[in-house]
Amino acid sequence: MIATTSGLLGCALLCLALIATALHLDRFPALARYAVAMVAIVALFTPVDGLSVLAYVRGVTGDLSVATLVLAAGACVSRLSGRTLIAPRESLALLRVVAGAGVFLYPFALGWTPFDPYALGYGSVAFITVLLLVTLAAWRAGLNLVVLVVLVASLAWLAGLYESRNLWDYLIDPLAAIYAVVRLSAGEVGKVFPRRQS
Amino acid sequence: MSARARKWTSLAAIALVFAGLYLRALDAPPPAAFVPPRSAPQPAASKPFFKPQLLPNSSTLSVHSATAVELSDGRLRAFWYGGTREGASDVAIYTSVYSPVTGSWEPERMLVSREPAERRLQRYLRKLGNPVAGRDAAGRVWLYYVSVSVGGWAGSAINAMVSPDEGETWSAPRRLIASPFFNISTLVKGPPLRLADGTVALPVYHEFLGKFGELLRLDGEGRVVGKTRLSWGSSSLQPVIVPRSESEAVGFMRYAGDPPGRVLMIRTGDAGARWTAPVKTALPNPNSAVASVLLAGGPLVLVFNNAEENREELALALSADFGDTWRVARGLEGEALPPRAPVPEYSYPWIMQDRSGDVHVLYTWGRSRIKHAVFNRAWLEGGR
Repeated sequence: MIATTSGLLGCALLCLALIATALHLDRFPALARYAVAMVAIVALFTPVDGLSVLAYVRGVTGDLSVATLVLAAGACVSRLSGRTLIAPRESLALLRVVAGAGVFLYPFALGWTPFDPYALGYGSVAFITVLLLVTLAAWRAGLNLVVLVVLVASLAWLAGLYESRNLWDYLIDPLAAIYAVVRLSAGEVGKVFPRRQS
Repeated sequence: MSARARKWTSLAAIALVFAGLYLRALDAPPPAAFVPPRSAPQPAASKPFFKPQLLPNSSTLSVHSATAVELSDGRLRAFWYGGTREGASDVAIYTSVYSPVTGSWEPERMLVSREPAERRLQRYLRKLGNPVAGRDAAGRVWLYYVSVSVGGWAGSAINAMVSPDEGETWSAPRRLIASPFFNISTLVKGPPLRLADGTVALPVYHEFLGKFGELLRLDGEGRVVGKTRLSWGSSSLQPVIVPRSESEAVGFMRYAGDPPGRVLMIRTGDAGARWTAPVKTALPNPNSAVASVLLAGGPLVLVFNNAEENREELALALSADFGDTWRVARGLEGEALPPRAPVPEYSYPWIMQDRSGDVHVLYTWGRSRIKHAVFNRAWLEGGR
C-alpha cells in the first residue's frame, strides 16, 4: 500500500514537472500557474477505464528514484514560483554523479558481461562503502544536493518504501540517467559550438 | 545555524544513515543451501503405465505455457494462459485440478485476467503471459506470472500471488522488481526452488537487448532480496534448475544463438553462488523451452524438442550421470506418435514427480490444448 501510494505520487510529481516545463509556466501570472497545476493534478488522478492516468504512467516508468524526484521537485518549484531551487553548481554535480552511475549500471545490468552491478544493491558492503566515499567526497566539496539524494534514498531503502529492495532503485533510474547524459552532452556540445551573439 | 554547524550536522547525518546501511547489509540473508529432492518410494517391479490426455480447456482458442503444483491431498493443480491468441488483451491465466484417483481434470476456471490485475497492481497492463507455480517452506502455493505494459515480451515484468489454501483463494498480486531498467524484460518459465533457509530461488530470464538467465532470491513475502547471474550475452534463456544435493545443481536453458542448436547446460557446486558458463549438450534445441526433473533415487530426466529446426517432436531423455551423457528414452509427440495436432507444434513442457513416484508432463499441444501425460519410471526406462 505504501509502495503503491509513493509510486503514484512520484509519477504525479514527474508529470507535473514535465507539464510545467513544457508549458513554461513561469511565464504565466502566478494565479494562472497554480490554476494550471491544480487542473493537471486533478487530470492525473482522473480514472480512465478504471485506472488513473498516473497508473498508466507508472506502468511504463515504474517507481521513480530519489534523484528523479529531486530533479522533478526542483523543476516544479522553479516553474511554479519562478525561484531557482537548485543552484546550477549543485545540479551539475548531481547530473555528473547520476550519469556516471547510469553508465556503470545499465550496460552491465542488461547482460553485457557476467558481472552484474545491480546485484550489489541488495546489501553489498563493498557497494555501500563506495557510496559512502562518493557521499563524503560530495560533502567535502560542499555539494549538498548529492548528499541529500544519497541520504534520502538510503533512508527510503532502510524503510522499504518502494516495491524494490534494491538500493540502486532508490538512488537512480533510467529517466534520471538518460536526462543526465543528455543534459551533460548538450552542455559539452554547447562548449564546442557556442551560440553566436546576434 | 552557522555554515560550519550545518556542515558538521550533515556529516553526523551521513554517519548515522550509513551506520544503518551497514547494519542492514550485515543483516542480509547469507547464501542458502538447496533443498535436495525428496526420496519418493517407487516400487521396483511396478507395471509400466503411460496415460496421456488433453485437458478440458475449451473456453479459449489458444493456450500456452502450462505449470503445475502438487496439492497436499495428492491432486495436481495446473495453470496456463489462454485467449484468442498469444499476446491478445483477452489472455487470462486459467487453472484446473487433476485427481489421480479418477484420472481426470476438473473444468477449468479463470484465475487472473488483465483488468482486475492492473487495478490490483495500480499500473496499466497490456497483456499477460507465462505462469509458473511452486510451494514455499510454509507450504503455501505461489503463482508467478508475466505481464507486459509496453511493447512485446521484451517489456515483461513478473508478478507474484500466494495462496494459503491450495489455490482456492489468492492474495493480491505483487510486482517483482528484477531489473533496474524500467523493470522490464524479466520472464519466468522454470519452476521455483525452495532454499534451506526458507527463501525461494526463482529462475528467470531477460529478453531486452540480450538473452540471459538469472536466479532471483525471494523472501517469505515474495520480494526479491538477491539475484545471481546464470548466463550472459544474447543466446540463453528459460533456465530450469535441478538440485542434486545441498550444494550441487545442474541447469538447462533454451538456446537462441547461432547453429547448431543444442540444449545448454550450466552447473554449480557451491549452492548457486557461482555457475559455470553454459555449454552445449548433445541434445538438439530448436530455440524452444525444456523441462527437467531428478527422479527420486533415479536418473535425471529432460523433456525437449528432439530436432534442431522445429517443435514437431517432443521426447524424454535420461541421464544417469547428472547431465554428462544422455539417451533418448521415449517420445511423447512426433510423426510416429498419432494423433497429431492440427498445428504440429509441441512446446513449453513442464515436468514433475509426485509423492507416489509417478511422473507428470504438461505441454502445449498444437497451441490449442494443454496435454498431460502421466507415467511411471518402469515405462520411462523401458523405452528405446
